[in-house]
Amino acid sequence: MNDSFKPKILAFLCNWCSYAGADLAGVSRIQYPPFIRIVRVMCSGRIDPLFIVDALKEGFDGVMVSGCHIGDCHYLDGNKYAVKRMEMLAQLLDLSGIGRKRAHLRWASAAEAQPFADNVVEVTNIIRDAGPFNAKDHEMALNALTRALTTTRLRWLVGIDRHLTENENVYHEKTDPILFEKVKNDAIIAEFQKALLQEVLDKGPATVKEMADKTGIGIYTVSRRLNELELSGLADLKGCEGNTPRFASPV
Amino acid sequence: MSSDVIGAVLVVGGGIAGIQASLDLANSGYLVHLVEKSQAIGGAMSALDKTFPTNDCSMCILAPYLVTAGRHPNIELLTNSELLELTGEKGNFSALVRTNPRYIDLLKCTSCGECAKVCPVILPNGYEQNLSERKAAYKQYAQAIPGAYAIQKTDKAPCRLACPAGLNVQGYVQMVGQGKYKEALQIIMEDLPLPGVLGRICPHGCEDACRRCDVDNPVAIRSLKRLAADKFDPRQIEIKTLPKREEKVAIIGSGPAGLSAAYHLAKKGVLSTIYEALPKAGGMLRVGIPEHRLPRYILDNEIELITNLGVEIKTNTPLGSDLTIDDLFTQGYKSVYIAIGAHKGFDLGVPGEKAEGVRQGVDFLKEVNLTGKTQVAKNIAIIGGGNVAIDVARCAVRLGAEKVNIIYRRTRAEMPAWEEEIHAAETEGAEITYLAAPQEILTSDGKVVGLRCIRMELGEPDSSGRRRPVPVVGSEYDIEIDQLIPAIGQKPDSSVLENIPGIDFSKWGTVETDSVTYVTGRKGVFAGGDVQTGPWVAIGAIAAGREAAESIVRYLDGIDMAEGREAIINENPVYRPIPKGEPKKSRIEMPELAAEKRAGNFKEVELGYCEEDGAAEAGRCLNCGYCCECNQCVDACLANAVDHSQKAEEKQINIGSVILCAGTDTFDPSTLDEFYHYNTNPDVLTSLEFERILSASGPTMGHLVRMSDHKEPKKIAWLQCVGSRDNNHCGNGYCSSVCCMYAVKEAVVAKEHSGGNLDCAIFYMDMRTNGKEFERFYNNAKDKHGVRFINSRMHSIESVPEIGDLSIRYVTGCGETIIETFDQIVLSVGLEISKETMDLAKRLGVETTEGNFCKTSALEPVSSSKEGVYVCGAFQGPKDIPQSVIDASAAAAMAGKDLSSARDTLTKVKQVTPEINVADKAPRIGVFVCHCGINIGSVVNVPEVVKYAQQLPGVVFSSDTLFTCSQDSQENIRKAVSEQNLNRVIVAACTPRTHEALFQQTIQEAGLNPYLFEFANIRDQNAWVHQKDPESATQKAKDLVRMAVARSALLEPITPIQIEVNHDALVIGGGIAGMSAALNLADQGFKTYLIEKSSELGGQALVHAVNTWQGDNVPAFLSKINDQVTNHKNIEVLLESDIQSIDGFVGNFTTSVNSAQKEREINHGVVILATGAAPLETDEYLYGQSDRVMKWHELDSMFESHPEIFKETRSIAFIQCVGSREPARPYCSKICCTASVRSAIAIKGKKPDMNIYIIYRDMRTFGLREELYKKAREMGVIFIRYNVDEKPVVKRDGDEGLIITIKDHILNTPLKISVDYVNLATAIVPPDDRKSLAQMLKVPLTEEGFYMEAHIKLRPVDFSTDGVFVAGLAHYPKPIEESIAQAQAAAGRAAIILNKSTIQIEPIVSVVDEDKCIGCGLCEQSCAFGAIRLKQVLGKGYRAENYSALCKGCGVCAAGCPQKAIDMKHFRDSQILAAVCAGGTNA
Repeated sequence: MNDSFKPKILAFLCNWCSYAGADLAGVSRIQYPPFIRIVRVMCSGRIDPLFIVDALKEGFDGVMVSGCHIGDCHYLDGNKYAVKRMEMLAQLLDLSGIGRKRAHLRWASAAEAQPFADNVVEVTNIIRDAGPFNAKDHEMALNALTRALTTTRLRWLVGIDRHLTENENVYHEKTDPILFEKVKNDAIIAEFQKALLQEVLDKGPATVKEMADKTGIGIYTVSRRLNELELSGLADLKGCEGNTPRFASPV
Repeated sequence: MSSDVIGAVLVVGGGIAGIQASLDLANSGYLVHLVEKSQAIGGAMSALDKTFPTNDCSMCILAPYLVTAGRHPNIELLTNSELLELTGEKGNFSALVRTNPRYIDLLKCTSCGECAKVCPVILPNGYEQNLSERKAAYKQYAQAIPGAYAIQKTDKAPCRLACPAGLNVQGYVQMVGQGKYKEALQIIMEDLPLPGVLGRICPHGCEDACRRCDVDNPVAIRSLKRLAADKFDPRQIEIKTLPKREEKVAIIGSGPAGLSAAYHLAKKGVLSTIYEALPKAGGMLRVGIPEHRLPRYILDNEIELITNLGVEIKTNTPLGSDLTIDDLFTQGYKSVYIAIGAHKGFDLGVPGEKAEGVRQGVDFLKEVNLTGKTQVAKNIAIIGGGNVAIDVARCAVRLGAEKVNIIYRRTRAEMPAWEEEIHAAETEGAEITYLAAPQEILTSDGKVVGLRCIRMELGEPDSSGRRRPVPVVGSEYDIEIDQLIPAIGQKPDSSVLENIPGIDFSKWGTVETDSVTYVTGRKGVFAGGDVQTGPWVAIGAIAAGREAAESIVRYLDGIDMAEGREAIINENPVYRPIPKGEPKKSRIEMPELAAEKRAGNFKEVELGYCEEDGAAEAGRCLNCGYCCECNQCVDACLANAVDHSQKAEEKQINIGSVILCAGTDTFDPSTLDEFYHYNTNPDVLTSLEFERILSASGPTMGHLVRMSDHKEPKKIAWLQCVGSRDNNHCGNGYCSSVCCMYAVKEAVVAKEHSGGNLDCAIFYMDMRTNGKEFERFYNNAKDKHGVRFINSRMHSIESVPEIGDLSIRYVTGCGETIIETFDQIVLSVGLEISKETMDLAKRLGVETTEGNFCKTSALEPVSSSKEGVYVCGAFQGPKDIPQSVIDASAAAAMAGKDLSSARDTLTKVKQVTPEINVADKAPRIGVFVCHCGINIGSVVNVPEVVKYAQQLPGVVFSSDTLFTCSQDSQENIRKAVSEQNLNRVIVAACTPRTHEALFQQTIQEAGLNPYLFEFANIRDQNAWVHQKDPESATQKAKDLVRMAVARSALLEPITPIQIEVNHDALVIGGGIAGMSAALNLADQGFKTYLIEKSSELGGQALVHAVNTWQGDNVPAFLSKINDQVTNHKNIEVLLESDIQSIDGFVGNFTTSVNSAQKEREINHGVVILATGAAPLETDEYLYGQSDRVMKWHELDSMFESHPEIFKETRSIAFIQCVGSREPARPYCSKICCTASVRSAIAIKGKKPDMNIYIIYRDMRTFGLREELYKKAREMGVIFIRYNVDEKPVVKRDGDEGLIITIKDHILNTPLKISVDYVNLATAIVPPDDRKSLAQMLKVPLTEEGFYMEAHIKLRPVDFSTDGVFVAGLAHYPKPIEESIAQAQAAAGRAAIILNKSTIQIEPIVSVVDEDKCIGCGLCEQSCAFGAIRLKQVLGKGYRAENYSALCKGCGVCAAGCPQKAIDMKHFRDSQILAAVCAGGTNA
């Protein structure tokens, strides 16, 4: 571990449990590394994954979201939404090459001063191990993450997940969670890849090969995603260079 | 009950109980008069370091309550006040309250502390348990409310009273001590124009009165006065004079009386001319006192300061034929003051007095003093024993006399001359002959040649109290002399006055005057000084001159000269007690001119103190009056708040109810010094002293050190039950209830302070950790922190010589004697009712218990014996903070219930400050960074953070404060808002969880919307968790401030949401707690639904109905309350009812109840949970397998229903802690020890020969229940302790009975006991259905499954969910009186809501942007509260809409909205991201 590295870590704490737990750590004089910067929110369910991407863009090396234990939520189940959103973000971070080690979800109750401090230590160590995060090196990936996380498709899927898999629909059918998970995962991959391609296209017309090179996505997949983008009006054929078609973002 | 009900309550005692009761009452529509005897509210809690079991900082959680109480419009704080008298009856009392002067105007004081800075009087700091010092002008503690300073002052110091001129001695002594000589002179010269003169020659009666005499020797007051005049020229003192007047006054005589009169007249604007017969001014000061005692230039200078005022002195101008009194009036003088002194010596009255060589002492001195010489013979005898005789002798020696013999008729002890003068005379060569008197002057040729003397002896005391000298017959003897100087006294030379009409003389030849006004028989003529008194001290003449000046001015003004001038004599003056163990300090010797250097000259002999000597000598002053009235504070106070003339005020206050919460003192262990060595060893501390040592704001700034050598202790012992459970030594038989827990807490905190190497041992009899979460704390202390618990009462403490350690000798459980050494000992002192509180109870006619606590019944736990007078807090019985708070709310509920017809009649409506419009204004941000004493300041570089904040965008003001939460700091914030036009305020301090509301209120009062406030948590989440890394913590503080600034710039004002309140209440659970709560609410006029699962009201009391431990009849009470509840017009009881669902929020709940097979919906505004708990079913100890093993009431019931079994039973055993205090249920069930002991006593009482064993772990008969335990032991009940690891084993003994095997700790062998029956005290466990109710109401449960209150200390009946309250066993196992109190408290707290027509709810809700919304409905799907729903919008299809009253503000919808069309007020995306962005960049 690099001891001289002082990571900048953003911590979103819910007002009722973790923020109180963090206060209690103070009252109990439990010492922990001085690298977290706390932002208080009412519930971990308030955290839009976009906030975390923004934090990485703005110079943080990692983010911790901390809320009440499952079952303890002051708002009944806000933390369960946090779980779903953080899971999706983790997948996206992995896809983007940034890695899920930059974003963590932890629980700490109002009475858990030591567990809170332990969480901070643990998250700090993971992020220290991961080293400094340079947003410039991941500019395209970060922008693609923002783009993907803004899509109606992913926002709907993550939002409706619990409703479909935990409750019955109007026909008294329960959606198979495994099936739903698969659909969601496919969507996450697709949306992220599309977002990456859009990032490339936003910078100017490009061929499929160029897009594949820039994004690291296979040529076949690029074609498919490009097709999807074309269908939703997010990419246009911008003429051909010899036999090679060039695509661009719509004007 | 009076028919004329007053809607106001008097609360006596401003501790936490008094504060809680006041807040509850004030919030429910009553005017509260809160009477507190000290200068600030806060009570004992304010001095505690941490509170158990949460280890919250005591001050941190208390401070918001203090501030809220302090600023509440319906709480009138009466500090420094006491209740003297209470008349009238319930509903309409009249209270006589005395408010003692604070000497600082509460409204004007800005709490700046300048008065304390300049105050010279250093006193022990009582708040810090006398471990540090404070000034006489002081503030009780930093966060005290009211925040104003106060001055401690009692009667005038005895030195001042002893001074004929009433000089403020204590004042100038303190000033000299500080080196403030000019200020000292200013004080002196208020009364005395001749400080350097009197500083040398005053006979200092003040020193005789000095209380330092009781310690060692008096303070050398005169020398200190002289030092002031030596160090600062009195002529440079600016003397304030009134405008000059036309009238002139003539003064005859320029001695001290004349000069003083002229000086004081001049100060009043009246100029005078002094006529002096001699060639020089000064009177006796000039001609009576030789220069070696009073250098001439001193006198000249000080006369000059008088003439500088415009006084004219005409020397060589005697009264006589050339100048008569009539002449003076003719010349235009409006008044004449005669002060010609007493310059005529008394003759001896022996033959030969006319001979040459006989000369009066005064005449001798006059010549010497005026000319510097006179004729001196070789061999001189001086007759007399006063200072004149000595002065003559010392002059004669200096002028060359060979032999000087003073002849005095008594002994040295009776000599009126000062000892130091006598000594000096002897040193210089004069001889003194005692017990001799002249009989005849022997002459030859008309010249003196000898003296015939006679020996004297002392007879009976004469009128002066001195023994009368009696001649010894036949003892005549002759001595040879050639000069005789009688100096036996003087009288006025009345010849010049004899023919003046109206002037009369006494038989001693003195002028007769009025004793107060000094007016003579002649109009306009006054007389004073020696001419009126006969020869007396100069200071007396000076006082007379001042009084004459007063009379003369009144005479000139034509007003009554005597009015208001009679001396007021205080028969029983109250002085500051001489501190125990005040160290002896010797009086500083006055340096003198060496004896050999004195011959032949008149150089001053006494050389005066140096500055250091002066400071040391002044430091010996005991400050008898506390405040010395030096008036430095008056000058220092820029707010003109100091008013030394304040007087005590008494007023009558009309109220409807009274609540007594006077609290307790702690036991003073100095009375048992032979056991505890508390007085003699500084390393033996009381627990309160230890609290202050642990406290970060305490005398050692939280450094745990021992007081003797300031080294960190390695081993600390706590001794429990000091002043408790101890009838023999201190008479306090009761258990003080709180000491076990505070000792455990102190040990844990001490270990944390010391970094883990500290060894902590607690010596105890029974650990009584019976409160909620206490047992867990105790276990952690033992297991995690390694605190040692030694079950033994110590035998003795001894000091270990040289190293200063303390050794404790004690006996272990197995009889072994051990000596262990500790370096600090903490005495866990118990609680005790103070003398003042006992007197109060007596005055009010309130009955008390044997231990002087207020007498109450278990069934009316907060009602005193006097109707309409309620009690709460430790005055009701020793108890901890949560129970005090519960009782306080209960007392408030009971007091309020009596007055409900007069609710809202006397309360004021709070003024709403008009809100400043900040829309479209650029942010002007103010940042206030708090030091929090040293909590933040010792880690974070606060000034650096302030500086950093100043340059952040939008910040226009930033500053630091010692305690931002203190009242003065709040005022500063308000001031900054208005002066700097701030529109955003940031406080960087502790945590928003405790203090945000306070600051929001503050900025609201300054006209800002409360949501324009932002908090930066730099204490709890920074300074405290990075204590060892100040640099990083400072960096983090800057980052957090920067983030707060960025976010605050985007904050918007939010208008609160008002919702209607349904005035009905729902109480769930029909046990005693539920019924009590329902009854209180119904009595207050609120419709109440009482839901009970079973078919009968009564709960646990139905099954376990026995008398309470105090003997109250529970079955009778149950049937009475059952009747009251069932027949109350405001109560609807629903039996056999199950709650199906509870929806809604505070003020608007809807509960669906399945009652008697019918669904029913109830709308209500509040919920009280009183769902109870029940004894654990167990299979331990053969329960369920043997008929001989029973639990709880079963044994009693069996004996009652089968008297024949009772008759045959020979022995029984109770086993305690069955299922309690074990890993599965790590809590104490609290009531079982008392229950078993009570049952044992009852059985033993009926059948004394029955063997009764109580097998226990710790006997927890807490509080006044200790009496029962004692009684049981006295009756012969056998108590056997067991260890949880070695539980007793119960086996069948054939069919005959049972055999209990238990380890005997003393013999270390198994002990077998045969008993007929065993009764088990099983744990109290919460019911199974608690979880569903908790979920419906969204309230939390503790790990044990009891309901978890909002805050264990200060909100013990509330939940964090508004409008929901808890009472009774559902909260934690507790005795019946605590259940009832909590039920009343819950009802009271609920009534605060029900009483309102509308309440404000948190307006942090979601907002929908209709333009962005596409009506997808995901938000509706994800909202758990139905607070956001789709609605049809014409032409747009569906759009989401927020239902504010239901919205809890979590933000789940906003975070998930696919269109990002939803945002949260106060937590907007933009606001959060602003903080994130600011946090990401580098400082």
